[in-house]
Amino acid sequence: MSPFILWLNRLSSLASTPAVWGIFLTGAVIYLINEWRVRFLALVAQYFFVGILFARIFDTRPELAVLKIVVGWLICGAFLISARMRERTVKEQGRHWHWSANLPFRMLLLSAMTVVAYLASQRYVLPFVSADLSVACFALGVLAILFIGAEENDAVVAGIGVLNLLAALDIFYSSRDPGLLVTGLMVMVTLLIGLAISYLTVAEVAE
Amino acid sequence: MTIPGPVFVVGLPLAVSLLLQLLRRWTAFMAWIAAGTAALVGLSIALSPLNETLVYQEFGVVLGQPLYLMGRELVVEPVDRLPLAFIFLTAAGLFVIAWRLLPHSNFFPNGLTMTALLAAALLVKQVVYAALLVEMAAILAVFPLHEPLSSRDRPQPKPAGPDDDTVPMETPSAVVSTEMGRTSTLLGAGHVGRVKGGLRYLTYATLALPGLMVTQLLLEWFSLFPNDRGVLQSATLLLALSFAILLGAAPFQSWLSTVATDGSPPVVTFLFTVNIGTVWFMLLAYLEAYTWLGAQALFGPLISGVGLLMMVLGGALSASQRHLGRLVAYATLVDNGAMFVALGTRQAAGVALSVMMLIARPLALGLMTIGLDGLRRMGGGDDSEAAMSGLAWESPWRAVAFIMGGVAMAGFPLSLGFAARWGLFRLMVNDSFFQAILALSGSAGVMMGVIGAIRILLTQTPLHQRAPYRDDVIVLILIVVLIAATLWLGLFPQNLSSLALQMTEGFTFLRP
Repeated sequence: MSPFILWLNRLSSLASTPAVWGIFLTGAVIYLINEWRVRFLALVAQYFFVGILFARIFDTRPELAVLKIVVGWLICGAFLISARMRERTVKEQGRHWHWSANLPFRMLLLSAMTVVAYLASQRYVLPFVSADLSVACFALGVLAILFIGAEENDAVVAGIGVLNLLAALDIFYSSRDPGLLVTGLMVMVTLLIGLAISYLTVAEVAE
Repeated sequence: MTIPGPVFVVGLPLAVSLLLQLLRRWTAFMAWIAAGTAALVGLSIALSPLNETLVYQEFGVVLGQPLYLMGRELVVEPVDRLPLAFIFLTAAGLFVIAWRLLPHSNFFPNGLTMTALLAAALLVKQVVYAALLVEMAAILAVFPLHEPLSSRDRPQPKPAGPDDDTVPMETPSAVVSTEMGRTSTLLGAGHVGRVKGGLRYLTYATLALPGLMVTQLLLEWFSLFPNDRGVLQSATLLLALSFAILLGAAPFQSWLSTVATDGSPPVVTFLFTVNIGTVWFMLLAYLEAYTWLGAQALFGPLISGVGLLMMVLGGALSASQRHLGRLVAYATLVDNGAMFVALGTRQAAGVALSVMMLIARPLALGLMTIGLDGLRRMGGGDDSEAAMSGLAWESPWRAVAFIMGGVAMAGFPLSLGFAARWGLFRLMVNDSFFQAILALSGSAGVMMGVIGAIRILLTQTPLHQRAPYRDDVIVLILIVVLIAATLWLGLFPQNLSSLALQMTEGFTFLRP
């Protein structure tokens, strides 16, 4: 094994627990702040954290983890373009930065679901994955439920929920079967979902 | 040069679909190329022996020859032939129907790609790859489902009469954003920004993915530890859940109605026939491959129970429905439920009946699609009671198409659906008269919904006492052809029932 890969493995194992909480934090930002620029930056950061976790799974092939990050960032770029097109079309009103509606309720729900995700990861141990990856899977799953459940009127946020669900599944499945074909297909599915959500965001106002 | 069958079945449509992406300017060319390719592949699979070489110049195709892709086998097996022929020929028919309904649409290239991906899902044996391919097809469906009409293709607003107080169609400049991020319109009519159907379908298709992928892991686990029977129960549960989501079974039926309400009618029909058909054949293939799945004690009652619930629920919702698009969705829900009930009888005849219902569906939904598409355009994109009132007087053929399609979906006499439903009721009566009555009530509910639609479409209002809407002649010819086919096959269903029996010959899991 090359010294670079050894160094990367060591770094990713050290960074994986902070990365899990980074996923939670960026998810919270997306959930609580209703401003596409902030959400875009949070999503970019979230994909970086997810990439760190993938670096642990693909320990002998770090290029696949890099690929996952690059694909995530490509999706962020597509969302950015869609959001700008949408903004130009719908002429957003007033302030640029504001909290999501029902903020106290959202904060309460997010806190409760964070606890649920953590306890579930302790109670139901996922096979094939380490403890921190298990927490990440549950965290991403919980965030997916929150995004899909609360934001169906906003295609981007619901889409991020779908992507989070897929990331959770990808982390879990790739831990058991890190084969090239499954990884490639998952990358394609992720990219297609990103494009579809981006398209829906624009089509929502273009129809 | 010998080409393996999967390259022809999957590779050819994929290659043609790439070409079609460049030809979107020429709708007729695109539609007929797509239909021709799908028909060529479908007929080749249906009519050619698997082990013989189909020769074209220096190329030879052996349909039965497997293709190995990174160690994974794709092969056309005898049991796959008719299902593959069904999805390709149905796709071909829908491309022809969409020719005049979706100008310059990405439905043609995307539809061909989706068909190829779904065919690949039937050819590959591992659950995980099939699941990912079905997911990709579902994602691709989103693009034509909510394709914005270009200004050239947008229906012209109806000329306002002296008493006309209807709201004109919205333009993008009339759109504002609300605090919640929801798109609404200054005019308040709310037909702009309806992309919920695609979003929900995408979400549900993705929700079905974990169950299928984890099942693959469990199956691998079981092959290592064959004594661990608990793994099989988990796998059964996950598979059942995933297929329930993909087939829109209760309580996961909400994507059917949302898609039918928001989506482009021809694409909705594609989803309800080709996509659902493929998932159905995948389910039959898994029941065949994993015999423990069908051997679970709860299998029959669970499938029958869910199917009956779908029929009753769909019937009740159809009967009270005043939105024509949702009627299509609930009629499909009842039809899906009938297929579940047929499978739940645990008899070979039940499987054949479920396949016959699937074969009958493209004709019925095709008619409903053509009708709904025209009526919805005349209603300014809306299909509510207010928008549809009296439209039968303006466009009688579109109304007739919708009604005839609805009658066929309800499984009433003089339609192909009747033969299959009647067979199902007879099969059910032997086991439980009460359940047969419940199933019949589902069909009756759809018929009541259709009667409600007739009443709405025939309502005479001063607003609609205008010159009849001038319809496309080719669309009228298509309507006549589809109605004639429905009636003919309804009167003489023998050929199709024997085809259904032939399709299910390969599925032996319910034979004693």
